[in-house]
Amino acid sequence: MPASAMIAEHSEIIRKGMVHLLESSGLFGIVRETPCSASLLDQVRRHQPDILFVNPGMIDATFRDKLKKTQEPQTRLAAIVYSLHDESTLKVFDEVILVNDTRAKILRKLNNLIKEQTSEEPHSDHSLTARELDVLKLLVKGLSNKEISTALFISTHTVMTHRKNITQKLNIKSVAGLTVYAMLNGIISMEELE
Amino acid sequence: MKESIITGSMKMADLVAADPRSMVLITRFGIDLGFGDQTIKQICQEKNIQTDFFLLMVNIFLSSSFFPNQKLKNVDVKLLLTYLANSHEYYIREKIPLIQAMFGNYLGKMDHPAKPQLQSFFDEYIQEVIEHIEYEEQVAFPYVSNLLARSAGGAGKAGRENYGISIFEERHTNIEDKLSDLKNLLIKYLPPSKERFLRIRIINELFDLEQDLGNHARLEDQVLIPLVEQMEKQLNP
Repeated sequence: MPASAMIAEHSEIIRKGMVHLLESSGLFGIVRETPCSASLLDQVRRHQPDILFVNPGMIDATFRDKLKKTQEPQTRLAAIVYSLHDESTLKVFDEVILVNDTRAKILRKLNNLIKEQTSEEPHSDHSLTARELDVLKLLVKGLSNKEISTALFISTHTVMTHRKNITQKLNIKSVAGLTVYAMLNGIISMEELE
Repeated sequence: MKESIITGSMKMADLVAADPRSMVLITRFGIDLGFGDQTIKQICQEKNIQTDFFLLMVNIFLSSSFFPNQKLKNVDVKLLLTYLANSHEYYIREKIPLIQAMFGNYLGKMDHPAKPQLQSFFDEYIQEVIEHIEYEEQVAFPYVSNLLARSAGGAGKAGRENYGISIFEERHTNIEDKLSDLKNLLIKYLPPSKERFLRIRIINELFDLEQDLGNHARLEDQVLIPLVEQMEKQLNP
């Protein structure tokens, strides 16, 4: 099924430009648009687009959480960026589309957004799966993505997906931090580390 | 407070009352507490600080959504460097030793096989912060000072031809991830302990440091680097 999109953007020129881009990409079945930030949350709840393309200035920091509470499955968020924003503002987005991105680059980003949308189940459960635990163990022993992929007979792409999920679930990004986590939870022992 | 913009006619004491984080900020301009009822403008004039610049910094610091635009031309780069160097001094001499002492104290009372890992994770993080600061102090800031001297018509030192602020930008690595990890380990994953209030104090300090370092990085990325790029262009058209 083709994905559905919504574009929230004050600027008529940019909004129409995005509409054209999405429609001509052939990736989207439905493309809705709105220039209005006040009713945005309601509109997203009503239409449940797969991906919301939005000017970061039109939503606040709590938008994503509010959305999460009422929605299943999740709408993914992509920022439309043509002015300077704080890095922390952009962190909540799944993807960032810059106004000077080339067409090819934008299409790549769109493809990624759609792929992530359909391939992974939502991460409502914060405990790690058995496979994620396998990856975590090898990771904190200092193995590279490639070495982990060989050891577990999976592709490096899959290793990276597991790593991303581990980080998302635990909220720990660095390998050093994950090592401490693994030790604290008895996932790995001191002897295994050495 | 969060959304309001600070002006020069406000009393300095009202700024502090509105947001206590400003106390640390104003010390970096050489302003100490005990200023009575003077306004921001009065104090700035007395201390020879451009009021506009002071206000710009306060607003950047206290409102994370504030972004300086046309006001960049008001910035005194020399004063900005002094401010950044004073911030570094504060991290190195005050903040980091305080957190180190509290963390050491906490770990000392903890009994868990993961203790050495936690200690080395913490030490590594602190080491990275210190290295980052040293790099800025020893390489990046002298480079900017030299540029300043040259744009003021002075000779400046030759050499370092192949250095540019763009390198600084690349090297401006993010140490935010590890700090956030440390916070989350303390909040979520360290086992409960009797030292609960010490733990809370450490976490509070980490939040405070995180915010301060975040602003510091914002100042460098959004104010210092654009200004230096302008200077570079003027000197090497």
